[in-house]
Amino acid sequence: MYFQIMIVLLSMVIAYAVTKWKYPVEWSILSAAVVGGIIGSVLFSTPPIRELFRHLVEGTSTYMDIVLVFTTATIFMAIVKESGGVDYVIRATIKHFYNRRIIALLILMFIILVPGALTGAGSVSCLVVGAPVALALVYLGIPRVKVTAIIFILAGLSAAAPPVNIWAMITCAGTAIPYVGFELPLAIPILILSIFTVLFLGYKKEGDTTLEKALQDMPKVPEGMTIWKVVLPFLFFFGMIIVERIWPFSIPVMGLPLEFTIAAIIALVLSPTKIKIIQLSLDTVKRLLPLLATVIIVGILQQVMTVTGVRGLLSYTVITIPITLLFISLAFVLPISEGILTYGAAALFGIPLTWYFDSIGLHATVVIAGMSLLYPLGDGLPPTALIGRLSVMVSEYKGNYLNFLKQTWVPWLVITIVGILMIVYSSHLSFLVEWSK
Amino acid sequence: MPIVMIIYYILSICLIGMLIYNFIKEKESTTDMLLYLIVAIPFVLRVLRVK
Repeated sequence: MYFQIMIVLLSMVIAYAVTKWKYPVEWSILSAAVVGGIIGSVLFSTPPIRELFRHLVEGTSTYMDIVLVFTTATIFMAIVKESGGVDYVIRATIKHFYNRRIIALLILMFIILVPGALTGAGSVSCLVVGAPVALALVYLGIPRVKVTAIIFILAGLSAAAPPVNIWAMITCAGTAIPYVGFELPLAIPILILSIFTVLFLGYKKEGDTTLEKALQDMPKVPEGMTIWKVVLPFLFFFGMIIVERIWPFSIPVMGLPLEFTIAAIIALVLSPTKIKIIQLSLDTVKRLLPLLATVIIVGILQQVMTVTGVRGLLSYTVITIPITLLFISLAFVLPISEGILTYGAAALFGIPLTWYFDSIGLHATVVIAGMSLLYPLGDGLPPTALIGRLSVMVSEYKGNYLNFLKQTWVPWLVITIVGILMIVYSSHLSFLVEWSK
Repeated sequence: MPIVMIIYYILSICLIGMLIYNFIKEKESTTDMLLYLIVAIPFVLRVLRVK
């Protein structure tokens, strides 16, 4: 049995590597899944050949809800941006807090954190608010290489921040743990790490920019835009989540996609500029395609790995690693697998690791939260380097990619230590889960 | 059928519509066209209530 599964696993690795040579990561994952399924079916009848197609199709439904969250949340953020809300907040921050540097940095930090936290994708943070925030940071006198580093780390952390954390959602879906109680175990470390990152990389001012020049170069805000028009859709969104929690038996469960849709309609109605909503939605779906496809294909991969026994083999391998070595190896395994598989890393390693940690008495929810801090670091690593490449693009950094990565090493190390410590001491931190409920 | 579920069916239909529209409009990349179809699969099955 062990030998058979190893052959299937090997065929998947080869298929992935060969496809990666010429095609994007989502095709590599799909080819790994299809080849693994075919090898398992043809050579070992696991699954039976007549069942293979059914498994491939069934796998597409695994993360359907996540795709819906992704889409509705990103359309919501796109409306806020198109209405001038993002430009309004950034301009106001520079105008009022240019000489109060720490406050300005913290507000810009929140602006990057919000889109990623709401959508679960750091790339959305980069695409929606990355460019204006990068411009604001440059005008605060921060060198462009450090600006890129700040955008990368914060966008990565935003993806892990609540309410939507895709890695945690994928792990929960695969381990039958409810996606509940993650708010504080994620929000507290992410806020602390974000504040540390933005102050460590951005506190020191370099260059001689002035407030007047900064305001002159920043994007203009549409007439009629006010702070309330920016804040109200978000208040409604978080209000709906809070109301559901306070009166769980009186309020129907709406779910995040519907809540995002309602918030998007409010943002659309309040917008001072006319927004072509259909075109905006079509453009958003087009821009999101690689992410949506990755999530759907990871579902197929997970289904094939389960049915062929590969997932069980990996789980078994994880269990046999000495525990101390396992904790240390997390610092490398999770970011590197994220760099190769993107969200697939959570399905491949996150799920068996959670089972194992749970079985030795660690608190599964805090463990998943801790691991969630480590995945986004891999989004700066090749071959995908999804958030890293976007950070370079939006901050218009023209230098060497490695030089930008070097700037991130201190926050990277601190995030890694915090993530691993959260896993090791997860039982002691379980009160955060209780407080979140 | 509860109203929330009906709204989710409508959301799914909207997403399928956007995916199909982008699929038709996509002229350059064949791989993107295929990705649109792959993403649409679970939503089409859900709307058709195929298990």
